[in-house]
Amino acid sequence: MTYTFQWGEALKHLPYLLEGAWLSLALAFLGFWGGALIGLFGAVGKVYGGRLVYRIVDIYVVFFTNTPALVQIFFLFYALPEVGILLAPFTAVLIGLVLNSGAYLTEIQRAGFVSVRQTEIEAAEVLGMSLAQIVRYVIVPHIAKTLFAPLSSFYIWLVLGTSMASIFGVEELTGRAINISTTNFRTIEVFSVTALIYIAITILASAVLALIGRYAFRVRAKIF
Amino acid sequence: MLDRIISEAPRFFTYYNMVFLLEAMGRTLLMALIGVSLGFVLGFLLDFARRTPGRAWLPLRVAATLYVETFRRIPFLVILFIVLFAIQGFRFPVSLFGVAMIAICVISSAFCAEIIRAGFDSIHQTQWDTAAVMNFGRLQTLRHVVLPQAWRVILPPAFAFMVMFIKDTALASQLGVVELTFAGKVLSTRGFSAMLVFGTVLVLYFALSYPLSRLGGWLERRLAPSRGR
Repeated sequence: MTYTFQWGEALKHLPYLLEGAWLSLALAFLGFWGGALIGLFGAVGKVYGGRLVYRIVDIYVVFFTNTPALVQIFFLFYALPEVGILLAPFTAVLIGLVLNSGAYLTEIQRAGFVSVRQTEIEAAEVLGMSLAQIVRYVIVPHIAKTLFAPLSSFYIWLVLGTSMASIFGVEELTGRAINISTTNFRTIEVFSVTALIYIAITILASAVLALIGRYAFRVRAKIF
Repeated sequence: MLDRIISEAPRFFTYYNMVFLLEAMGRTLLMALIGVSLGFVLGFLLDFARRTPGRAWLPLRVAATLYVETFRRIPFLVILFIVLFAIQGFRFPVSLFGVAMIAICVISSAFCAEIIRAGFDSIHQTQWDTAAVMNFGRLQTLRHVVLPQAWRVILPPAFAFMVMFIKDTALASQLGVVELTFAGKVLSTRGFSAMLVFGTVLVLYFALSYPLSRLGGWLERRLAPSRGR
């Protein structure tokens, strides 16, 4: 029971850690939009594609949602060099996160597509709307409303997931915390400060998302 | 590449390697099981604390809410490190497996509290009021009125959650707990093709989580709550 806390040693490195937090948010942002793009194709394929497309997308989703992202990135990072594909740590982590979030976002967006009722699309067709107009005025508002809550909580989950990148030597928030703690040995203090930064950035992200939801899609979003 | 895997396969799929991997797989499952079970007990207590009435219990409500909101916003890896270093710093005699278990329980209780909250929220306030009118105590209401209905809402996400934890325990490999991912790292450092090793590890994880996902999906369709209020 002899541990003397020295918070100053951890707080000294706050700017360095915050820079890492920025990289964490950026990684989550890239992972999210990359995944959203895959998810969009996946969801369209699952809902409107034929039997074969459905099968292929389903295998992708089921595989990626039922195995750990960490091991998938291990595979990308350590196994792909055997076939001559060398990935930098950042690229490997990013590809891993994109493929992972693509699988989750396929399912989330599919739920959004299903929420648009066929009758509403038919009504829009009767009114003489073009496909682009139907997408813009009927489908997107619907999807935005049903999807906003699951999407924003998925984004938070992804921010937390980026801490995995530290294992591969990417210097985001957790990676930088490891760097500091291995030089000054104030591990408890450094990781407590890191935890507080994670809480702060996720609350910040939730707040920004709630604002976007309220003003762009008129969704009543909760921060907590 | 393929011929390398084929030539290595007989050397890799030996009895001892398989026993090693399967034992590690068992440990992964054990960690997730203990995490979810203890998480549910603690999460239940947390939710109960959040529902206590009156001003006297306000500090308890605030503490429980703070706990849940805090630990759902910290990455599992960071919690693992904090628990590890706190335990080492204060010299508690806890094994690495124990450290991982504590970290898992800290996180899982926070997530379970949310699942249980959603389940209880699905029971309308009028039912609590009716039970109170009929002179039920809070615990009696819980046992005879709320739980028989809420478990239908709680159970399906619990399986998704269990799958999430099977996957999250992979991070415990960073501490050196010999679970499935760590076993994969050990075999890969022994010189086996990483593609073969991590491919096998991925398949084993899949074998562990897929049945649970399916079961969860099946329960979700089957137990779709009848909207009786």
